[in-house]
Amino acid sequence: MSAFATLASVYNTPVAMHGDVDSTDSNTTTGSRALNQFLASVELKAFKIAQSALRHEHDALDAVQDAMLQLTRAYADRPAEEWRPLFYRILENRIRDMQRRRTVRARIMAWLPAHRDEEDEEAFDPITQAPSEELAPPRRLELDEAMTALEKALHDLPNRQRQAFLLRNLEGMDVAQVAAAMGCSEGSVKTHHFRAVKALRARLGEFST
Amino acid sequence: MTLNDEELDDFEKRTRALLEESVTRIDGRIRSRLNQARHAALAEVERARRTPWWRSFAFAPAAGLVAVVLLAVVLWAPRPGQMVPIADGASNAVEDLDLVADGETFDLIQQGDGGFYEWAVAQADAGPEATS
Repeated sequence: MSAFATLASVYNTPVAMHGDVDSTDSNTTTGSRALNQFLASVELKAFKIAQSALRHEHDALDAVQDAMLQLTRAYADRPAEEWRPLFYRILENRIRDMQRRRTVRARIMAWLPAHRDEEDEEAFDPITQAPSEELAPPRRLELDEAMTALEKALHDLPNRQRQAFLLRNLEGMDVAQVAAAMGCSEGSVKTHHFRAVKALRARLGEFST
Repeated sequence: MTLNDEELDDFEKRTRALLEESVTRIDGRIRSRLNQARHAALAEVERARRTPWWRSFAFAPAAGLVAVVLLAVVLWAPRPGQMVPIADGASNAVEDLDLVADGETFDLIQQGDGGFYEWAVAQADAGPEATS
């Protein structure tokens, strides 16, 4: 009992006081813990990917949150190996929905010349986008500049190329996993990735970090 | 199996390093929001798992009511090819409305050409023998 109690406290699980452990609850907790670990492992990179596509912090957060909810609602019972491609597929669909909605909204707002989109104002607010007042060393400045250039170049890539590049180079997925996430063949993934690298290299040159 | 660094050329290695650096720079506010989103998603799964199976029938009465209404509509709706009887008063009511709306005609009736209508009513009451 004491050994079990120690383990339980490590994993923050309730301790069964009368020796009987409900196997269903135990499985559920284990499943939730695995799902929690998975989501924690992808959330930052997923946010970065969403932000790269949407260039808007709130929209990126919403996209990641929606993807998390949809994954847990619909696919929590699927094998853990399937979660990553499924999650990124859901995320990409959500990003595409937001981009479409934004396009429609821009078309409607084009008829109202006096209208100023407050969210866009927020997205490109020079005050919030400005670097902090803390003096950065030259190395940090170089990194900042390279990062900004890379993020801009990534945003300008076609959706599929950006997705293939980020899933391979940021998330570190192999071609088969990327193909599953993008819903296309491995050959298409290789083509999109090759074109993305070529476009980025042409845009950024052989920058050093 | 994930991507190995050996598979990447120098350019890709540098972009990867930059991207990973940018991930580490995500500020605490965003991390906190993501953390909250994750816990909200997990709480929803736990809630769904703990909901008893019979609770999924909570909307059964409403669904039954909708089914009854649909059935009634299907039963009472005219079938294709079926003639719908028109109530005698229905078309008359529309004509009466026209009559009332048309002020000129109404005035004409009020001005005393009632004799003709009285005769017409008497003829109708007397039956077909009276008209022949």
